Amino acid sequence: MEARVGETFRKRLIVFYIPLFLFLVALLFPFYWMLITSVKPDFELYNARNAPFFVWHPTLSHWVQLFQNTLFTRWAWNTLCIATASTAISLFAGVLAGYALSRLTFPGSTSFGIIIFITYLVPPTLLFIPLASVIAELHLLDSPWALILTYPTFLVPFSAWLLMGYFKTIPRELEECARIDGATRLQAMTKIVLPLGMPGILSAGIFSFTLSWNEFLYALVFISSPQQKTIPVGVVSELMKGDVFYWGALMAGALFGSIPIAFVYSFFVEHYVSGMTGAVKG
Amino acid sequence: MKASPQSAVTTPRSSGTLTSVEAPARQRSSWLENEAVLGYVLMTPALLLIVVFIAYPFSLGVWLSLTDKLVSRPAHFIGLRNFTHLFESQIFWGTVWNTIFFTFSATVLKAVLGMWLAVLLNRKIHFMRFIRATILLPFIVPTVLSGLAWVWMFDATFSVFNWGLRWLWQTTEWLLNADFGYFRGPRWLGDPAWAMFSIIMVNTWRGIPFFAISFLAGLQTVPTELYDAGDIDGATGWQKFWHITVPLIKPIAVVVIVFSFVVTFADFQVVYVLTRGGPHNSTHLLATFAYQLGMASGNLGEGAAVALFMFPFLALVILWQLLYLRKEDSQ
Amino acid sequence: MPQRVPQQAGGNPAGGLTRRAFLSTSMALAAAAGAEFVGGKAPALAQTRTLHVLEWSSFVPAADVIRDQQAAEFGKQAGVKVTIEHINANDLLARATAAIEGRKGPDILQLQNNSPHLYAGGLEDHNQLIAELGGDKFYPFIIDAVTVDGIARGVPYFFGGGANTYRKDIFQKVGIDKLPDTWEEHLAAGKKLKKFGMPIGQTLGHTFGDAPGFAYPVLWSFGGMEVDEKGKVAINSKETRAAVDFVKEFWFAACDEGGLAWDDTSNNRAFLAEAIACTLNGASIYFVARYTPEKTVPGMADKIGHFLMPRGPAGRFHTVGPSTNCITTYSENKDVAKHYIRYCHQKEVYEQFLVTNKGYVNGPLPEWQEHPMWEADPVVTIFRELPKYGRNTGYAGPYDRKSAEVRAKYIIVDLFAKAVQGESPQSAIAWAEQELKNVYERA
Repeated sequence: MEARVGETFRKRLIVFYIPLFLFLVALLFPFYWMLITSVKPDFELYNARNAPFFVWHPTLSHWVQLFQNTLFTRWAWNTLCIATASTAISLFAGVLAGYALSRLTFPGSTSFGIIIFITYLVPPTLLFIPLASVIAELHLLDSPWALILTYPTFLVPFSAWLLMGYFKTIPRELEECARIDGATRLQAMTKIVLPLGMPGILSAGIFSFTLSWNEFLYALVFISSPQQKTIPVGVVSELMKGDVFYWGALMAGALFGSIPIAFVYSFFVEHYVSGMTGAVKG
Repeated sequence: MKASPQSAVTTPRSSGTLTSVEAPARQRSSWLENEAVLGYVLMTPALLLIVVFIAYPFSLGVWLSLTDKLVSRPAHFIGLRNFTHLFESQIFWGTVWNTIFFTFSATVLKAVLGMWLAVLLNRKIHFMRFIRATILLPFIVPTVLSGLAWVWMFDATFSVFNWGLRWLWQTTEWLLNADFGYFRGPRWLGDPAWAMFSIIMVNTWRGIPFFAISFLAGLQTVPTELYDAGDIDGATGWQKFWHITVPLIKPIAVVVIVFSFVVTFADFQVVYVLTRGGPHNSTHLLATFAYQLGMASGNLGEGAAVALFMFPFLALVILWQLLYLRKEDSQ
Repeated sequence: MPQRVPQQAGGNPAGGLTRRAFLSTSMALAAAAGAEFVGGKAPALAQTRTLHVLEWSSFVPAADVIRDQQAAEFGKQAGVKVTIEHINANDLLARATAAIEGRKGPDILQLQNNSPHLYAGGLEDHNQLIAELGGDKFYPFIIDAVTVDGIARGVPYFFGGGANTYRKDIFQKVGIDKLPDTWEEHLAAGKKLKKFGMPIGQTLGHTFGDAPGFAYPVLWSFGGMEVDEKGKVAINSKETRAAVDFVKEFWFAACDEGGLAWDDTSNNRAFLAEAIACTLNGASIYFVARYTPEKTVPGMADKIGHFLMPRGPAGRFHTVGPSTNCITTYSENKDVAKHYIRYCHQKEVYEQFLVTNKGYVNGPLPEWQEHPMWEADPVVTIFRELPKYGRNTGYAGPYDRKSAEVRAKYIIVDLFAKAVQGESPQSAIAWAEQELKNVYERA
């Protein structure tokens, strides 16, 4: 443990350990709560008197209800497909655009760069009403394609931005050597720059994947059939209805809706973090 | 841009296999060798997406906001009447104020707390990598799902916070042998002020990890020699922070803060899940209000107008950031 | 053609309805239907048609079950795949808007109150169906709710309303000997209950049922109204002021002040958890206590009673809004939808639905008021009285799109919520007046 100059254990406790512990509790308690609630039986759950922090008779009935009585597995599949496809599309567009903007000079490149950056001025919450009619005109309502094609609108700018930063760090000489050897620009791009930029591409990919998984408004407005819903929309719309909100199943839905993304993320933590910091620095 | 005969040979040439490229292939794609052409071609997918799914809907939205479009009825041009109606509506101005207040408060809190956490995370202890990974969970997990956990934690009857507070209350009563009366606990989502507090809290909770990790990256670029020099000069922790850390972090901080400001300003999920804009419109943000007007009341023209109202604010902020960065670049 | 229908698993919740009668009618219908739209051939399953219905998720869980069962039965008979999607009623309008504007989505939207007025341009002409299924016998206020410019945009399916659900034992304990009949009596009773620690629970939040169910009747019972007969905004009156002053006093003296954030389920939960002793609600609280007693404290069902909305100087009122099945214009299964609606209104089929709800819903035709079910459980008999006190939102103007918009914006609910929040009555009323003008006097 690295000691700071003149720091006693007591000081370390006050200045470091306790605050860190408090942060951890604050940031992670809701997940603990999700887990606890999803295994608490109804009679414990709706008893306002007993201590809520523990479960005395854990039950898996809420989990069972989630997987058997709702279309949760279908939603999970939908969300997975949509997130993967939109990530693929946004990486494709983002890599190409990132490369073009960082390695090539052509008239209008600065303007294009600014345009891509400016799309943040038009967030989904601004666009969703007219965009719904565009989607309707394209006959894509209630189809996963409505989301697969629209998610890249907020994924591509970030991916391009991030990748621009990465590509800038790759020495031009590598490409130039390749082209002297007879490679076309495209080949130089695909065989040299892209492989070297793979960490950046992975970062952009994982960031895009988590953002797609998190999207809600477009999915809420463009998708209506229960079979086509994504996890966030499905859990919120199908488990909060009628007289009683099935809190046990709701929390189970929240938990299982979060697990896949946390799982994927755990493999790519370093990439995610470096992606975030790279974007911010770049 | 053309390769010079003395290209640096210090880097290994990984292009050996490419010498076998046939001449005809090169001629076939020679038009792609043109930098400008290649540039445009590569930009096409991104630009296509932007034009079809952002630019076109945006102009459609502008037109819609100038019509009296109601669901299932044809639209008629009415000029700025939607806007004048909105400007006369107390709910609208309340929503504008809510959005500004919410965004400003949440951003400040996230920045301060995020910075504090970043400083904490900047130490090397066992498990720090694991800790850094886990604290990002609030940011990774879908907002509506973690939001649902918060709704349950804030529930009027079953709130775990109120339970805890009540326990503290009763324990204190017991310790002091006093009777303070029955403790109900804040109405987290029922009282307009508390509801605003609650949505700010949830948004902050969600955003702290993003700020923390970004600031951490910045902190790690600060050379430790500067801190050592500060120690030699007898600087306190606070002084070191203000005079060394902050100035060097500023560029990153600006980018992170502006980005977060824009995203928070357009936030929808937190309010939708927690309060739907209630109690009586006191937590409506422009995004949720647009949704309610457009989708729930069927008043699509007005809804589009409210959504569009976000634009000038965001434009100002982003413009400021662009200028700030230009200035920094040129220094 | 006699199709072997597999036996339905589980008990018969309707009680008293024989499976044979049920099936024979449906099969006859199906045979006719099948013949009609498969072109005279046997009800072949050659091409599976589909039908997507969107409706609320009932506060009586058994009602959702029976709706799904009946839909499956119809589907089996007619060779159609019927999907009923149950969602939170607060989300119905947003889904309807998306579907109608995008011209894609459910074939039948089950809309509430006079929402058909909002979506008139996207809903079919149902005049013929109405004529077939009862015509003039439908309650007039129900027909008003769905008819726009002379054309019915849906077929009313049921209607419901709320009454005050109360704890008989708690009322006795705090000394309320006579059930409150006027607002003053209700206030006095509430004061006793609040002192005891189990106040009246009322929501003033943005939720579709219990909040307007309180706000509008209070306003009307003091003589207030949103617009006058000529359609001019008339909210700013001394009667409205009287209502607002009363509610302000009533809220602090008698109610659980957390109610500002409650949705339609919160008061149910609070009552069943014994946090409140009286609340305005449909019969769902009683239903849950009686038929799923594990969700509440033991013996709750026997302690529950109901009484009507208190009377004010101008009378006693309830909001009674119908739920209406509306076929959308973009639907590609309109013929199937029509058959389905006819099926739902078949005497035996509707009876099963009505009885399953055990008093939570009323039938759209007066004849359903005579059904023996109403006598079977005296606790819910009072819900039969609601149509007598029904009044449409938008009074004294027509039950039209503007009143639907006002209701969707919760303007009248917010009028009281603001006053209770500390805003002065004049300011709250002035605000409501401005918001109403925005809707009614939009050029």
